[in-house]
Amino acid sequence: MANDPIHQFQIQDLTAPVSIGGYEISFTNSALFMGVAVATITGILIMATAKGSLVPGRLQSVGEVWYEFVHNMVRQVLGHEGKKFFPLVFSLFSFVLVANMLGMFPYFFTVTSHVVVTAALAIFVVGLVVVVGIAKHGLGWFKLFVPHGVPLAILPFISLIEIISFFSRPISLGLRLFGNMLAGHIVLKVFAGFVVSLGALGLGGIIGAAAPLAMAVALTALEFLVAFLQAFVFAILTCVYLNDALHPGH
Amino acid sequence: MKKPGKGSTPEDRTLKELGDLSERLKDLSGRIAAEKSERAESQKPPASLSGATSYAKGYRLASEFVAGTLVGGLFGYGFDWLFGTLPFGLIVFLLLGFGAGILNMARAANRVPPAQERLGSNPPPKAAYDDEEED
Repeated sequence: MANDPIHQFQIQDLTAPVSIGGYEISFTNSALFMGVAVATITGILIMATAKGSLVPGRLQSVGEVWYEFVHNMVRQVLGHEGKKFFPLVFSLFSFVLVANMLGMFPYFFTVTSHVVVTAALAIFVVGLVVVVGIAKHGLGWFKLFVPHGVPLAILPFISLIEIISFFSRPISLGLRLFGNMLAGHIVLKVFAGFVVSLGALGLGGIIGAAAPLAMAVALTALEFLVAFLQAFVFAILTCVYLNDALHPGH
Repeated sequence: MKKPGKGSTPEDRTLKELGDLSERLKDLSGRIAAEKSERAESQKPPASLSGATSYAKGYRLASEFVAGTLVGGLFGYGFDWLFGTLPFGLIVFLLLGFGAGILNMARAANRVPPAQERLGSNPPPKAAYDDEEED
């Protein structure tokens, strides 16, 4: 079990199983770490904003950098109109970032390594794009799928391709985050497993174990980078997609 | 004891202060300029980030392509399931999905402008298009 690289992703009930209408809604380790992530974000931000001094202390600086990072991103991509979406993008970014970072702790569960969670976030984002687009532009929003200046003969194909391309967004958005986190954690676990099994082979094995150990250390650093990067990519793609809702063709 | 110092007659002092002030003003404007350029610099994503993003970029291209093909296949299967034309819808939509995947990839790599820009009339803020290549 210790060397099973998949074991870390198992969902476990923390309480007695509860089910309503055939659906299990027990409190699991995944739910626990989602709660922990939200509590961490809320805690840090409340503490960061508690003092509100003119010259920020350490924690307040963290809060300000965090806020300004997302704020600049939203402003650059969505422009002035995008301010309404700042809370959404900030929440998404924070949740994904903190969930990823919590996953880097040994024995912690990585919420974003389950496609259910990431796909739910991605479908929510793209659903919001459709709703906002139609609310703002009415049926004219569908012109997004009908490019100008395309010969009539191939227009249906182009539109179909555009539609498929649009529907592939939630999939690529969700799959990317899930894939990165899953693959990273598995690779990390596999290399760490090499260290253990080589170390059990005696002196030669212990010397040989230095190589996978170095690899595991390097991968840990890479994983921290990926954890941040994927949160960033998720947030900026949310902005880019929302931009489609705010500024379609006409 | 009689004279506190040579340079501290009233006129001298004001002159000196004025010189000081203009010196300080120069200094301050220099520092403001430096701060400004530094700020402009920090508005951009840090260099280390854009260097490290090549990994994310590659992963993004791959996932865009796979997603396009996957959705095409799903559409095809759905079409066949509705109309009972099993192999044909799947064939056509898989090919279209392949095309959509290529389009996604080209767009992610900034080779093709995003749909709304190609449409002309109402170009979005330039930054949207620029930022897409950052991830």
